[in-house]
Amino acid sequence: MSNILLNVEDLSMHYSTRAGEVSAVDNVSFSLKKGEAMGLVGESGCGKTSIATTLLRLMPDNALVKGGHVYLDDTDLLSLREEEMRQVRWKRISMVFQAAMNALNPVYKVGEQIIEALETHHMFATNEEARQRIVELFTLVDLDPKMLDQYPHEYSGGMRQRAVIAMSLACHPDLIIADEPTTALDVIVQDNLLREMMALQKKLGMSMIYISHDIAVIAEVSDRIGVMYAGRLVELATSEHIFKRPLHPYTYGLMSAFPSIIGPKRELTTLPGEPPDLIKPPPGCRFHPRCPFATEICTKEVPEFTDMGGGHFVACYHPVEVS
Amino acid sequence: MPADMMVKEPLVKVEGLSKLYPLTTGIFREARSFIHAVDGVNFSIPDGESLGLVGESGSGKTTTGKLLVRLVDPTAGQIQVRINGSGTDIAHLKGRGLKTFRRHVQMIFQDPYESLNPRRTVFDTVSEPLAVQGIGDVVERERQVAELLALVGITPPDTFMFRYPHELSGGQRQRVAIARALIVLPSFIVADEPTSMLDVSIRTGIMNLMQDLAEKMGVTYLYITHDLAVARYMTNRLAVMYLGKIVEMGGTEEILQHPLHPYTRALLSAVPVPDPTLKREPPDIKGSIAKAIDPMPRCRFYDRCPMAAKVCEDNDHPPLEEKGPGHWVACYRV
Repeated sequence: MSNILLNVEDLSMHYSTRAGEVSAVDNVSFSLKKGEAMGLVGESGCGKTSIATTLLRLMPDNALVKGGHVYLDDTDLLSLREEEMRQVRWKRISMVFQAAMNALNPVYKVGEQIIEALETHHMFATNEEARQRIVELFTLVDLDPKMLDQYPHEYSGGMRQRAVIAMSLACHPDLIIADEPTTALDVIVQDNLLREMMALQKKLGMSMIYISHDIAVIAEVSDRIGVMYAGRLVELATSEHIFKRPLHPYTYGLMSAFPSIIGPKRELTTLPGEPPDLIKPPPGCRFHPRCPFATEICTKEVPEFTDMGGGHFVACYHPVEVS
Repeated sequence: MPADMMVKEPLVKVEGLSKLYPLTTGIFREARSFIHAVDGVNFSIPDGESLGLVGESGSGKTTTGKLLVRLVDPTAGQIQVRINGSGTDIAHLKGRGLKTFRRHVQMIFQDPYESLNPRRTVFDTVSEPLAVQGIGDVVERERQVAELLALVGITPPDTFMFRYPHELSGGQRQRVAIARALIVLPSFIVADEPTSMLDVSIRTGIMNLMQDLAEKMGVTYLYITHDLAVARYMTNRLAVMYLGKIVEMGGTEEILQHPLHPYTRALLSAVPVPDPTLKREPPDIKGSIAKAIDPMPRCRFYDRCPMAAKVCEDNDHPPLEEKGPGHWVACYRV
């Protein structure tokens, strides 16, 4: 049995808008091992959330998968019918979205709403069974099960995310996709929640995909990190490699622009320009208009996503040698 | 007395500043409970300094900022701001006085998607303070706006002047918001999380711009942020707030390297570090932040403090005391 859980191959996805087709995800490939935590990092509009919604087939109506495969074990999720896909969501892959609890109805108790959701997805035979499971899960994520009989406004931001995590665990999934799970939470609450998620992941042997714009958060929770820029995966390596010797100029730029409270106070660099409009992405490497190392070939050809050794992938004609 | 013998007053001096919000129980009933959003805060900001106000949500940092620009009226206390060379208590200014005050003090908000009026062009937005203050005619205003847009990096100004916010990127919008605050040449700016909505690669540009402008135009900042790493780069001094109180204040590097208050220590140890080889210890703190509704007469941090003792419970909230040169801490146990 292979230890690869998820294998994404050449995934491309567009959004059709009135202004034109937005190339949100372009030729993205990566695989995820069982029990592994992977981080996807990048700025707004780089396609990290689009990948998450495509993996779960929860894209908005104007999204169009242009090509590629998403293999979960040996099944291509993109070829499944909607009813079959419903057997995958929650049960094999579930999700934790930013501020997901804000979608709850304020006039019903949280427990009732969670049970109703689980029931709609036919995950438990009886209400009693569902309730039992959710009590168990609340205890697991360190929430008092009494909170089930309270209303959403009685939950703090951290408690809300805990409840969402509890829900995501309901059907023993193999993979949880956490999209900005702690964004908008205060640092102490964030620290607490991330520790909890890492502990749960180890305890339950799940795989995780963390998605965030915050490279410090991603650094702390991920075994491997994928860096995205303008719809493409530009670098993928172990967390240590990404941080200690980044090869893509964008990754390097991102690191040097990121302030830290530890270590000597170094000068922060600025990346010139802004991310491109994905309706008309630049030809060749999408980073070339902002790249200090760009040459003619970068403006014409798309660089291959190549293994530079030890599973350190980069898509660049001039990988930076940084020491 | 010769001028050089005079001790210069700080630009901003805040004493005993409080803002209580009533929790009303009904239309005809008088409020019996209050949220102590800001509670007896004292600090001063000398010219050219950038004071950072940090803390979790609900600590009162944004309310403090709004009090200083008089978007919120204080319940008690004094706010001395030096206007045209003389200290003025702005806490109860009205009418003309308030309008003059607004020429000297401006604010930059967090979200440039919310703070710019979508139906007004860049020129309308940036020139509005000039119109309100009656400065210059249209030609003069256009010249000033163009000059300032160039300074904040919206170039060439002519192509952007008559665009609408939806035609600008997030970084450009924040630059426009900064230009709007600067157009009346204020001496003091309250910046409330001005970079927290921006992406990393855009953020550094705005941070550098704000620092350049401080030097070029002699602006003093109160910089409000929840992000201690950003505060490290944007401020000379830090004030850490917890439930309406300043619990620690001092030089930014001094506080980051040698935090003394148990809350500051917990806060700093919870900040994720962009280095996967470092393993942080979990922060030493109990429970979660509460609301300061009619707080008990004891240390505000008592319930969550790992060092809490009887003295912290028996006495009112500790006063800020100087525990090192320029390093102030409000704690009985430090």
